[in-house]
Amino acid sequence: MSLPLHERAADGSDPIVRMTLADLGKPFDVKTSATVVTSLIPARALEEDEQYRFHFDVTKCIGCRSCEVACNEQNGNPSDIRWRRIGEIEGGVYPDVLRHYLSMGCNHCLDAECVKGCPVEAYTKDPVTGIVLHSADACIGCQYCVWNCTYQVPQFNAERGVVGKCDMCHGRLTAGLEPACVNACPEAAIEIEIVNKTAWRKNFTAAESPGLPAAMHTLSTTRLTLPESATKLERVDAGHIRPEHAHLSLVFMTTLIQAVTGGLFFALIAHGLTPLFLTMLLGITAIALNISVFHLGRPAYAWRAVKMWRRSWLSREVLFFGHFFGSLAICTAFAWAMVLPATLYTSPFLRTLQTWPHAALALTCLAWITVGFGCAGTIASAFIYLIPARPSWNMVHTPFDFLLSGLLIGGTFAFVLQMVTNWMATLPMLQGWPLAHAGAVYPFWPVVVAGLLWMLNHVVRLVRLSRSPLFEGRASIMLLNRSPLRAFLIASFVFALGSCALALVSSVTLSCLAAFLCVLLARYLFFVSVVPLNMALTFTRGGHA
Amino acid sequence: MSMLTSIKRALGIDTRQEDYTFTKDPRFGHIATARVAEKWVKTTCGYCSVGCGMLVGVKDGKAVAARGNPDHPVNLGKLCPKGLSEHHVLDAPGRATQPLLRKDGKLVPVSWDEALDVMVEKFTGIQAKYGREALGVVGTGQLLTEDTYTLGKLVQLGFGTRNNDGNTTLCMASAVSGYKLSFGSDGPPGSYADMQAADVILLIGANIADNHPILCHRLDRTNRKGEMKLIVVDPRVTKTAMMADIHLPVKPRSDIALINGIAHVLIRDGLVSHDYIAAHTDDYAEFATFVEQFTPKHVAAVTGLSEARIVEVAHLYGNAKAAFIGWTMGVNHSTQGAMTVAAINNLALITGHIGRGGAAPFSITGQCNAMGTRETGFTSSLPGYRKYENAEHREELARLWGIDVDRIPSARGMAYPDIIEGAVAGKIKALWFVATNPVVSFPNFSVLDQALRSVEFLVVQDGFHPTPTSDYAHLVLPAAIWGEKEGTYTNSERRVSKVNAIVTPPGEARPDFDIFLAIAERLGVRDELYPGWTTTADAFREWQRVSAGRMCDYSGFTWQQLEDEGGAQWGGERLYADGVFPTATGRAKLHCVPCLPFAEQPDGEYNFVLNTGRTVEHWHTRTKTANIEMLDTMVPQAWLEMNPVDAAQLKLKAHDRVTVVSRRSAVNNLELRITGIVAPGQVFMPFHFSETNSNLVTLGAFDPISREPNFKQCAVRVEKFSQTLI
Repeated sequence: MSLPLHERAADGSDPIVRMTLADLGKPFDVKTSATVVTSLIPARALEEDEQYRFHFDVTKCIGCRSCEVACNEQNGNPSDIRWRRIGEIEGGVYPDVLRHYLSMGCNHCLDAECVKGCPVEAYTKDPVTGIVLHSADACIGCQYCVWNCTYQVPQFNAERGVVGKCDMCHGRLTAGLEPACVNACPEAAIEIEIVNKTAWRKNFTAAESPGLPAAMHTLSTTRLTLPESATKLERVDAGHIRPEHAHLSLVFMTTLIQAVTGGLFFALIAHGLTPLFLTMLLGITAIALNISVFHLGRPAYAWRAVKMWRRSWLSREVLFFGHFFGSLAICTAFAWAMVLPATLYTSPFLRTLQTWPHAALALTCLAWITVGFGCAGTIASAFIYLIPARPSWNMVHTPFDFLLSGLLIGGTFAFVLQMVTNWMATLPMLQGWPLAHAGAVYPFWPVVVAGLLWMLNHVVRLVRLSRSPLFEGRASIMLLNRSPLRAFLIASFVFALGSCALALVSSVTLSCLAAFLCVLLARYLFFVSVVPLNMALTFTRGGHA
Repeated sequence: MSMLTSIKRALGIDTRQEDYTFTKDPRFGHIATARVAEKWVKTTCGYCSVGCGMLVGVKDGKAVAARGNPDHPVNLGKLCPKGLSEHHVLDAPGRATQPLLRKDGKLVPVSWDEALDVMVEKFTGIQAKYGREALGVVGTGQLLTEDTYTLGKLVQLGFGTRNNDGNTTLCMASAVSGYKLSFGSDGPPGSYADMQAADVILLIGANIADNHPILCHRLDRTNRKGEMKLIVVDPRVTKTAMMADIHLPVKPRSDIALINGIAHVLIRDGLVSHDYIAAHTDDYAEFATFVEQFTPKHVAAVTGLSEARIVEVAHLYGNAKAAFIGWTMGVNHSTQGAMTVAAINNLALITGHIGRGGAAPFSITGQCNAMGTRETGFTSSLPGYRKYENAEHREELARLWGIDVDRIPSARGMAYPDIIEGAVAGKIKALWFVATNPVVSFPNFSVLDQALRSVEFLVVQDGFHPTPTSDYAHLVLPAAIWGEKEGTYTNSERRVSKVNAIVTPPGEARPDFDIFLAIAERLGVRDELYPGWTTTADAFREWQRVSAGRMCDYSGFTWQQLEDEGGAQWGGERLYADGVFPTATGRAKLHCVPCLPFAEQPDGEYNFVLNTGRTVEHWHTRTKTANIEMLDTMVPQAWLEMNPVDAAQLKLKAHDRVTVVSRRSAVNNLELRITGIVAPGQVFMPFHFSETNSNLVTLGAFDPISREPNFKQCAVRVEKFSQTLI
């Protein structure tokens, strides 16, 4: 790929090539400036095992934020979306104080988590330039990349329903023009250079800086030139910890689908499967899955989410829960088929089925398969959250919590559903239907065990977070210690205890209700109390509470 | 939006792809289609005095993009974030679009005819009743040179009041006065190019990284390290101080002691230029005797610097081949501002660091056209740096204008703060503010508030409404702003640059020039003062004649030349190259400048010194930048900087809400920033924000010579903010 900048600068016909002057700051000479060439983008083509990267010189930056504005103007983004962001890092004692600025776009990482996590292959690492490109067309707005990036580079554009990010002004760079930020910087602090990928993998210490997450997670390619000073620089936005988005649709989706899996599991053990019972589970699953679809920026394209099942846990979750729904639907149909009276529906197939001696066993097998899909989906769903960018999620407690939550709710939930179906069977309008009275007996000690384990899991998680070596982990505890989150946290434990106690005194409906409230609250806190890794931002970033 | 579109957007079938496409702009390459212009209009930035050349893209009659003009010698294509987003101001909400007259206590829309009839009737009525000087006018450095020139004639010769001043008195009046004291005339002697040619640059009270960012590349500290020394004098460790090779963290208002101390060392160690002193200065002997007392030991005690540091800096300055001193508001915003400037000039004069490449005492001014107001004047001086007290100057002007010389006043009227105090005292009965927002920018708000409530008629002419000031108005005149008018601005280095209209003003808003002519028409002075004038080009041509032969001579260039050549510097690259100064003796005067403590010292009750300043994202009182979302969301509110030592003592945490209390009033609900960039015992806040107006607490103390307020130091205490106390 050629960069015809030199040629275009030499003939002086194109004004843009003079906009970044190689001798910026030297005395200006109108007569010679036309032949001055930018040195801020590579002058040669890329070779094997090379890619482009940003070099940001911290010692040159004066924190003017021209790059930030130029980026938004270049990309026509709304003002709340900043593909290039400025951060402040500060340290020392008056008057020997240092404050420096970080100006960061995308780091076009070698092991980009955004690329790996995307369920629809909206991200590609350009084979020629190494630029991490994002396709708004392919994107379904699941925002998993927003969670995955340790630098919080991808940003969701609510107006569009898709994510967007810095593409190193790919369209400019490949035309021999410097990116907008490079072009705008009055201090020539940002430039594009070539990096050898193999060499960088071996030594990427120049990607590290105070105020930036560790580069090892994704192998950021951005090279930083830092001041030579013993002064310890620290981020200045650490006091700005704010609750994250609650993702209520995900709170409900995960809770309900775990409840359904748990319920099905207990009903299987207690031999409580009835057609109506399965129908109710199927209905709840349908609701849960539909809720989750509307968490997408582009719900109409939800179906695309299974595409990258080979590498994305999000795809796998969708795949497993899809299978869960499918096999639950088959179970339900099978169960109905077994009991439908011939007066209602006559078919040779039905008759064969109803007289098949192994029909009940087949249903049980099908149901176990369904439970298997539910568990697999739940585990896949937990793995979505096991990402370095979100330390308070990235713990073994997350899959434990998801499974234990299913068990905690499931035990009583199955019994409550049985009561509901038994009540429905007494309704006059349903008298013509083959609704048998179910009399499965549910032991409640598993609820107590699950509840205690659930609480133990959460307590250990909180203790470990409070001792986390990462600021973001400890910051989650700071958030949970604030009003009203602290009250919610206490309430979730009270509900967990209450659920156990009520189960012991056989107040099953209330126990189930308490279990639901406990899990919903804990899941809500799970989402809002996460403090993502991010680059250092400014003291006044964003709005204020 | 149709129902179908809404559904498609909700489902994500429609992602507004059409709003996010990219195209190749023939001039600037690949860019968002929305930023591709049909034509590019050359102009000059309307924010600060750096005077960057711009290209503003226009499409379908709307400004869609702003670019630095790569051919402009000031900025070489670069712009700061305000410049890069300046086209948005032409589309910003909050514009004044129709004349509003207060009727029964409420501002109601009226026609221009009614508005101007009422204005002239009220003003002349008040002048008839209380005397001509009962009218006070406060203009601005935001207008075009042509506007200011026209306004000056209208006020002084049309309305016949001498009480005409500008918001520039809040900004660079001390530099003007200081130059006059030393050199006999205003006029910054140097150029930006000097910042590149100097081997020592001394910046005093100038945070150019925040306030003039496009000057910073001139310092080019990285490439020239070792060759060029940048010394920054500032009590706060500003962005600029952090760029310095040597930062001198002086105690507040000890700058005069430092400057005199440098002079002391220069004389003591024989680093002065006796030839230059003998040939081009007066009063050296007195000066040398005076600075004897400013020994390094004494200066160290006053400034808090070490003796060695003071001597080192003096030696650097004295041994430099070419030394440049730049200053801004840290010097000007002082009750001793004018004399501080004179002290700075002393340094340049005794060493001969003036009138040569790289050597200049250089006031970096504030607003885009503060310089234009200085030159066209009719405020603190007569147009063309002429003096009120000089009969020849008055006669020359009378001849040029074809009017009776007696109509030209022989003494200056009231300065801005005196107009405000005059309103409180009942001497000023009518006020006219043009493109300025004193409610946020004037010190000690409570006195201003009283002034605005005391006058019988208050006219606010502004591009924006409501502003905190237009809320007080009896009459609001909607004016065109930058990008809607044609004329010239003059920047800090005396470079006159062309400013062009890019779009038409919104609603009924009119260019200030048109408003002035319409008023003159009603006063019956239009033909006399502005014979045959229809556009600002007419004003420029007369101004060329009026300035011809003066130091600020505009007669050598046309508008077209200015536009084509990236402006032109009146007086050439530098002034005083021959060492001849416009004083009676032709020699510059050395002044003995005593270092006095600032007026309101901290005490037990008000134990902090409050410093005020700016941030790069905002301009002045935010009438513009608060309406540019991209800038406003960067810094949506003010903050108070406090040293960690003080915060610990007050048991305050970062982001706590605090109240700053002075003897005058209090600023509530400020976010606390705990940082080592301010010294213990000092706090800092930006002044831009009307919501948390620093001028509620600042001191109404003014320089006796320049009348500039002392915005930079007052005594305050800091308390934890409590909602219930409001």
